[in-house]
Amino acid sequence: MIGPVTLDRLICRAIFIGAAAVLLFFRLMPLSTEPQAIPGPDLLLCIVFAFVQRRPDVLTPLLLVAVMLVTDLLLMRPPGLWTLLVLVGAEFLRSRHSPSSELPFLAEWGFVAIVLVVIHLADLMILAIIGPGEVLPALTMVQLLITVSFYPPVYLASRVLLGAGPVVPEPSGMAR
Amino acid sequence: MARDRNSSADYARPVRQIVVGLLALALVGIFLLWRIDSPRVERFRADVVDRVVPSFSWAMAPVRKLSDMAQGLQSYARIYEQNQELRRELRQMKAWKEAALQLEQENAKLLDLNKVRLDPQLTYVTGVVMADSGSPFHQSVLLNVGQRDGIVDGWATTDGLGLVGRISGVGQSSARVVLLTDSNSRLPVTIQPSGQRAILAGDNSIAPYIDFLEDPDAVRPGDRVVSSGDGGLFPAGLLVGQLAMGRDRQLRVRLSADLERLEFLRVLRSHANEVIGETGGLIVPSLIGPLPGPDQSAEAETGAELSQ
Repeated sequence: MIGPVTLDRLICRAIFIGAAAVLLFFRLMPLSTEPQAIPGPDLLLCIVFAFVQRRPDVLTPLLLVAVMLVTDLLLMRPPGLWTLLVLVGAEFLRSRHSPSSELPFLAEWGFVAIVLVVIHLADLMILAIIGPGEVLPALTMVQLLITVSFYPPVYLASRVLLGAGPVVPEPSGMAR
Repeated sequence: MARDRNSSADYARPVRQIVVGLLALALVGIFLLWRIDSPRVERFRADVVDRVVPSFSWAMAPVRKLSDMAQGLQSYARIYEQNQELRRELRQMKAWKEAALQLEQENAKLLDLNKVRLDPQLTYVTGVVMADSGSPFHQSVLLNVGQRDGIVDGWATTDGLGLVGRISGVGQSSARVVLLTDSNSRLPVTIQPSGQRAILAGDNSIAPYIDFLEDPDAVRPGDRVVSSGDGGLFPAGLLVGQLAMGRDRQLRVRLSADLERLEFLRVLRSHANEVIGETGGLIVPSLIGPLPGPDQSAEAETGAELSQ
């Protein structure tokens, strides 16, 4: 028996997993194998943070960790570290989220930007100290800036797709 | 209803915190495991990649086709210039072809005179590029050949023209090639006319730079760069590229391989190198007296196995 709330959650989860799979697919595609001076944004990160603030009930920690671990493995990152940082960042944003009142957009963007900066810096530092191989701080910072600047479109898309607020037990309260 | 939700939230919060804490611990564990026992985890990664990426390939084909077509359309825009350019190049190539033919004959004659036998073991396996690293921080591609085809970690990979990278990570039916442009790639090279040895180091830019060059005055931009075979890493004499002066006044190498679009790669089967298994293995057992015979026969046996 699937109630409307559960169904809505399932649909939102499917949206999240689908978006992650499509992003991964396009990143893995060998369209250009030259190194790029300007990296693309890490859209998956934007989506994770947008989801966690739109629908905290949908993106459970377990789902988040599963998806991020798969991307860690496929994108040749040290497995576990980046997932851990994203989990901590997402949980921080979730704890900021109050079910009754949503933050204005600029405040939300600000918080997301702070979290992004912190987890990128932490990743750089940890890898520089105990990781093998080289880290590329300049490239990481450029990508960080680009990712932050790509948050607003993801925010808009998440508003349209997921509705404005957190889930309310009546199905009529949902924008979907 | 509001009170209901609050009470459930109160109830859910500690549970969530415990779950998050456990997950975080597990992730720290995974990361430490990777740091401590990297080969095992990397093998696991290769297995995962082996499972996941080939299942994408049916979807990748049409998208690649589309992007090919888009690139084709773009090139129509400058077809005239391209034509001119190609004509010019063709003229040059004709001259080169003549020279190459003469040199080939001369070379064959000299080889015959010297009774030189080129190594027959340098054969190759050709693979198709399935995926790239997917991240701007790593330069690598995934081939659709793996253990099944006898690929071994460390083998050299070319695109037919020049060296592309080396195999690092082999799955059952896939192998990862770390490109020369990766920031962790280091390759011993020789710079041709002068014979200077150096290290070619990738730094995530299109042209890797030359490091540890003894005498920078002895080389000039335009010199040929080939692999030196130092350290038994690669066969010696594989073409890498041409020396060029970077914008930062650093000697860089313009790679002969066309990295913009890698589709098919050749994995060169390397010789069996001497493997030093344990500490002290380098120290020659006895310098006095001739080497015992069985050693040589054992070597011949391994050679025979390899050639099979």
